[in-house]
Amino acid sequence: MPSLRDIRNRITSVKSTRQITKAMKMVAAAKLRRAQDAILRTRPYAQLLDKALTRVAARAIADEAAVHPLLAPRQQKVAEVVVITSDRGLAGGFNSNIIRRTQRFLTESGDRFERIELATIGRKAKDFLRARKLEVRKDFLGVHQGLTYEKAEAIAQEYVQRYLAGEVDAVHLCYNEFKSAIAQTPVVVQLLPIEPPASEAAATIDFLYEPSREALLAELLPRHVAMQVWRALLESAASEHGARMSAMESATKNAEEMIAALTLQYNRARQAYVTKELMEIVGGAEALK
Amino acid sequence: MALTLDIVTPERRVLSVACDEVRAPGVQGGFGIRTRHTAFMTALEPGRLTYVEGGREHHFAIGGGFLQVADDKVIVLADTAEAAVDIDVDRARRALTDAQDRLKKLTEDAHNYREESARVRRAAARLGVAAK
Repeated sequence: MPSLRDIRNRITSVKSTRQITKAMKMVAAAKLRRAQDAILRTRPYAQLLDKALTRVAARAIADEAAVHPLLAPRQQKVAEVVVITSDRGLAGGFNSNIIRRTQRFLTESGDRFERIELATIGRKAKDFLRARKLEVRKDFLGVHQGLTYEKAEAIAQEYVQRYLAGEVDAVHLCYNEFKSAIAQTPVVVQLLPIEPPASEAAATIDFLYEPSREALLAELLPRHVAMQVWRALLESAASEHGARMSAMESATKNAEEMIAALTLQYNRARQAYVTKELMEIVGGAEALK
Repeated sequence: MALTLDIVTPERRVLSVACDEVRAPGVQGGFGIRTRHTAFMTALEPGRLTYVEGGREHHFAIGGGFLQVADDKVIVLADTAEAAVDIDVDRARRALTDAQDRLKKLTEDAHNYREESARVRRAAARLGVAAK
C-alpha cells in the first residue's frame, strides 16, 4: 500500500505529463492547419500543370518513336524506394507504419527487380532502417526543416538525372497520404518512369508551341516529377501533425483517467487514515475509563 | 481590360488580375500579348514579366516556367514569382554573388552545373527586376 505522499507525488507527475501532451496537441493542431493550407495552395499549379502536360503529351504518346525517356518504361532492373518519415517521434504509428509499408514493398516486389535500393527523407526513416540493418544508399538530410519547393525540386532533379543516366530504372515514394486529421494511409507511389497521362479526346484548341512540342514536354516532365515529390512531402508533413495530434489527444485522455483513478485511491487512503486515527483516539479514551 | 492573367507557382497562387497587356521573357525572346492572341504556349526564361493595367506597369521577377494563352486567358506556371516591389535589392545582390561564386567552383560537366547556372540566371533576373 503506497503512502499518501507517494500517491500525491504520482498525481503531480501525471498532471505535468498531461500538461505537456496537451500543449503538444495544440501545437500539432496549429501546424496541421498550416500544412493543410500549404497542400491546398499547390492545387492551382498542380492542376494547370497536369492539364498542360496532358495536352502536350497527347500527340507525343500517340507517336511512339518520339516517346520521351521519362515516359517510356524500360526493363526494370534497379529500383529505388524513397522512404519519407518525420524527424521527430511521438506521433503514434506514423513512422512505424511507413517502415512496415516499406518492408512489405520490399518482400512483394523483390522478384520484380534485380535490386532495390533505399533512400530516406526524415531522421526516423534513417534510424529505423539502420536499426533493421538495411542498407541505405542516401539520406536526404534536413528536408523537413524549413520545407520549400526548391528542396523538393533538388531531390526530383537528382532522380531524373539518375534515371536518364540509367543508374536507376524505377523510383518509388513511400509516404503517409493525408486523408484527414485523424486518418493517414501509408502509400507507395511510382515517381519514375512517369505514368503517361490519360490521353484526352482530341484537343479543342490548336495551340502554337514554342520552341516545340517536344522541347516543352522535356521541360514539363521534370516539373511534374518535382511536383509529385513536393506533394508527397507536404502530405507527409500534414499527416505527421495529424497523427501527433491524435496521439497526444489520447495521451491527454489517458493522463486524465489516471489522475482520476489516483485521486480516488488517494482519497480512500486518506479516509482510511482518518478512520484509523479516530479509532485509536476512541480506543485510547475507552482505555482511560 | 480584356485579358485575365494568372500567375501560379508550386507554392501558391501569386496573382490573378484583369489587364490590357502582358509582356514576358520567352525562351526564344521576349514577346507581348494583347487580346485575341492566338492560342499559344511557350517555355519562359528567368526574367521580367510585366503586365499593363490601366496604363500602369507592374513588374514581376519570374524564375522560369511556362506561359500559355487561350481565349484571352493568360496562365503563367512559374517556378518562382515575386512582385518587383517585394524584392529586397541588397539581398538579391548578395544571392547573385553567392550563386556566382558557387558556379565558378564548378566545372562544366559537374552534375549540378545546370542547376547552379540556372540559379545564377534566376538571381540575376531578380536583381534586374528589383533594380528597375
